[in-house]
Order: sequence, then C-alpha cells, then structure tokens
Amino acid sequence: MYKTLTFEENGDIATVTLAKSRINMEMVRELTEICNHLEDDSTAKVVVLRGQVGCFSLGIDFAEFRPDQPMDIHGFNKWEKICARIERLPKAIIAIIDGDCHGGGAQLMLVADAVIATPRCDIQFNEVHLGFLPGMATFRLAKSIGLGHAKRLIMQCPKIGADEALSLGLVSMVSTDIDEALSKTIQAFGPIHNVAVTLARRLLNESFSTDFENAIGNFLAAQHRAIHQTPFLDTIRAHTDE
Amino acid sequence: MRSRHARILSVGTANPPNWYTQQDILDLYRVANPMVKSMFKASHIQGRHLVLPEADEAGVPQEDQATLLRKHRVWSLKLGRECIEKALTDTGLSTGDIDYLCCITSTGMMLPGLSAMFVKHLGFRVDCHRTDIVGMGCNAGLNGLNPTANWCAANPGKLALMVCCEVNSALYVYDDTMGTGVVNSLFGDGCAAVLLRADDTDGPTQPLPLPQVVDFYSHLIPQAWGAMRYNWSTEHGKFSFYLDRDVPYVLGIHTETPVNGLLSRNKLKRRDIDHWIIHSGGKKVIDAIKYNIGLTDFDVRHTVNILRRFGNLGSGSFLFSYQQLVNEGKIRPGDRAVMMTMGPGSTIETALLHW
Repeated sequence: MYKTLTFEENGDIATVTLAKSRINMEMVRELTEICNHLEDDSTAKVVVLRGQVGCFSLGIDFAEFRPDQPMDIHGFNKWEKICARIERLPKAIIAIIDGDCHGGGAQLMLVADAVIATPRCDIQFNEVHLGFLPGMATFRLAKSIGLGHAKRLIMQCPKIGADEALSLGLVSMVSTDIDEALSKTIQAFGPIHNVAVTLARRLLNESFSTDFENAIGNFLAAQHRAIHQTPFLDTIRAHTDE
Repeated sequence: MRSRHARILSVGTANPPNWYTQQDILDLYRVANPMVKSMFKASHIQGRHLVLPEADEAGVPQEDQATLLRKHRVWSLKLGRECIEKALTDTGLSTGDIDYLCCITSTGMMLPGLSAMFVKHLGFRVDCHRTDIVGMGCNAGLNGLNPTANWCAANPGKLALMVCCEVNSALYVYDDTMGTGVVNSLFGDGCAAVLLRADDTDGPTQPLPLPQVVDFYSHLIPQAWGAMRYNWSTEHGKFSFYLDRDVPYVLGIHTETPVNGLLSRNKLKRRDIDHWIIHSGGKKVIDAIKYNIGLTDFDVRHTVNILRRFGNLGSGSFLFSYQQLVNEGKIRPGDRAVMMTMGPGSTIETALLHW
C-alpha cells in the first residue's frame, strides 16, 4: 500500500521502515498519512523508525531537483512539518540506526526520543559540504549535544561512528542485537502515559527557547492537565489504598 | 445561488484615545500594596486603552457608580459609532442598510439598551430588528454571533451587524487589594463591530473570499458557576468583578470538550484548522489552552499580541484577533478557523469559520 516505506502495527508497537534510501516528496506524503493514522486511530504506545539493513537513510533525493527548474523552498517546509509532527506524536519515538544515516536521515533521527545504533552506524550531517543546510537540525542538534559539538558536526560534516555518537549523546544505546536493545529501551520507557510523555517532551523541547517566567506558566498549565488524567489519578489512588 | 451560511463581510474596532502602561496605572492610582505592584509588573500586558478621570495631587479620584454608568453610556456611543463606521468603510453601505442589530455589553446596565441608543444616534432605520445581550461576559461575542449568523441564514441577502461594546474602565474599583488588583491590571476598553450577510455577494474590494460562519458549539461548566461574577460591594457602593484564581486552569482543562465536539460534528481534525481566533483572556488561560489542546505559540500569536497591546477587551476581543489575522494576509481560500471565547458561567464558546 505504501511505496517508499512499510508500516506495521503489533500491539503497542508501530514500526515505520523506510524502504527507499532517499527521501522524496512521496515519502513525505506517506509519512503524513501514517501520522494521521497514528494520531487518529492507533493505540500503539511506541513508534519505531528504521531503515533497510545497513542503511537508515541517505537523505534527500536530489533526483527531484532540476538545475533548469526554479528551486522550490516549499518542499523543505513540508519536510520540516512532517518532522515536527513526528516529534509531537503522543507516543514514544525510537529510531534504530543500522549503518548509514546521512543528511535528511540524520535530521529525522533527531526527532526521536531515543536512538538505538548498531556498531556499524555511520551518522553524518553532510548538507553544508553539499552547499545547503541540514534543515532544522541547526535548531535541534545544538539543543541535543551542545553548540560546540553541533558546530563541528554541521559545519565540518564528519562521519560519526557508534562510539562517538554514544559519547556525544546523539544515540542512547549501541548494540549488535537490535531486537534486544529495542525491547530494553521500550521497557525503560515504562508504561508510556501518552499525555505525560507528550507534555514532558514539549516542555523539554521548549526549554532552550523559553525564558523562566514563561516556562513556569507553561509548566503549570501542562501539570494541571497531567494531574487530571487517569494515570496520575490511579497513582494517587494506589497510594491512598496502601 | 445563495449561501446557506452567514459570511463575515468586515470588522471594525475602536478604542478610547488614552493608552496607559501598567506602570502608568500604578502611578496614577498610587498603588502601595507590593503584591498588587508585582502583579501589574508580571503581567503580559504592555498597556491598555482606558477612560480614566484626570489625576489631581491625591492621584486619580474615585468614581461613584452613577459616574461609571454614565462613562459606560457615553463611551459606548463614541466607540460604537467609530467601530461601526470602520466596519462599513469600503463596503458602500451605511447604517440605514442594516436590517438586524445585535449589541453586546457586560460593563454597564442601560435601559433602553445600547441598540436603541445606536438607532437613535447613528442612523439605523427604526424598523431595524434588535437584540441586546447584556451581562454574559467575555464569551458573549460568540453567544451573539450565533443568533446573528442564524438570523442572516434565515434572511438571505439581509445585513446584520453585531457590536461588542466594553468599557471595562467603567468597572474600576480601587482599594489596593489583590482582588481588585487582578481586575484592574487585566481589562481594557474597546469596541468591535462585525458585519454579516448570507449570500454570495462579496464586498467590493475583498481580495479574498469571505469566511462562512459554519457552526457553533457551547460548553458550560456549572461546577465553576461562581468563578467569575459581579459582586455588589457595599463598601464601595458599586459592582466589583470577582475572578477566581483557578479560572485559567478550569477553563483550560475543559477546552477539549467543545473543540472536539465542534470538529467531530464537522468531520474535522485539529490539524485541519489553519487559524485559531481565541479570546485574549489573560496569559494563564492562553497557556492552559495551548497545553490542553496542543496549540503552538504561532497558533496563539494574535491572541497574545492583542492581550499585550490592549489587555482583556471582553466580548469584542476575539474580533480584534480576527481583524489582525485578516490583515496579516496569510489566509488562503479553503482555510478553516476555530473561534473560541471563554467567560463567566463558566463557559467556553466556539465557532467554526470556513473561507
């Protein structure tokens, strides 16, 4: 049913597997359809993003650009919109990076809440060497690993292996056994209360760009919502029963 | 071919000439209570248009209830006239062309009501149909838009005008307490008029199709009945507005219900909504709405900006945001907007627009 990816849902886990090594507008459209489904109908608590064996993604498909045609900025906007939507899904987002993860692939990796890598992973923000920009990785990467490291990764475009990615905090686990690492990671996320997960992630993502006075207002609004949801009410009920 | 729904043809707004920063108000009223001072300073309001008496050496003199009622009447007429003229500008229409007039206010009691005063002074026909909605609070703009839009749908081709007139400075009670401080630091004066008609005749110079008012969805929160209310203050001999400190959160947590109701009835998802036109109630209630229905700072940019420039303008506030959205020039044919106003009851009112 999809041409650029496969999608399967198994109990609590929804898995998106990129079937093409390059990101094109068709893939953006299909990811949008999947987000619609995940927001509207899905009871999955975890979304796993992965690629083919040995390749997560090589980034943008340059075949969609023609030197004799006007350049279209709106395609980049659509890409950013789908990244932001994935980033806001009311699920835990886990990326599995086995092998090459370049350009747009590395950008997509940054919207995950946790990243599992295999020892052969090869992460590179290669856009600046190719004469363009790594999307909103300029925004996300600096927050994720610090401005100094982000400058080196984005401006010098080094290839980052598993050990360095782990030490930078770019990935959260390196393992040869992907299945085992995935189940450990899912276990670590615990019960995944979707409201608490979504609100916590949003406040964290906003933390660098919000001043304290606004942040505390935002926090109180979010906390008021969280403490009126079933999971917290269950927590205090269990506590009362003890 | 006639359209089934009323369309918004134009909006006009007006404010009194004097604009006061929060610091101006603290100085004018010689506010001494440090808690009240810090509340003014923490406010997300830069300043507000208000009608205040001249200060003498003792500060701003107190106004009794009779003075406040007169202020409401006089400024409702001045600002009403101005916002109605602006709404009719470029339409080739005059007040004599209006067939239905709906006036809204919660900041002063009059009998005869605003609509009769407007007919007397502003050139409306004496056979113009009238409705006055009095005392419904900040949400009342949508409580008025609902019957106004329905009147249009029932009378295709006829013109209806709704005017929200709030002279919040006619509610000023000053006693250096936190209770009145909250009110005095939040509300501003402003009127807004909106012109509607149900047919396919767009205004003469409209660069865009005009939005249809498609649907409404209300939600009352009876358990928060007393959270916002007028009290009679025997001490001051005037009405005093009371605002419970939990109001922003209570409204926030109930926001999903009417929004989901409105959208699901129209087979829409939140992602189908391109614009959010939300009453600028205060910083906390805007935050609560953002985190309860997942809106971004971009979604609430007009709401926040109107709050910053004007304070809480009561029932017409959402029309100021609507006007700013239209002037921004980002609306495209096919876009949809949700309008949302919140206020005493406690209540959340919503409407769906479709361009």
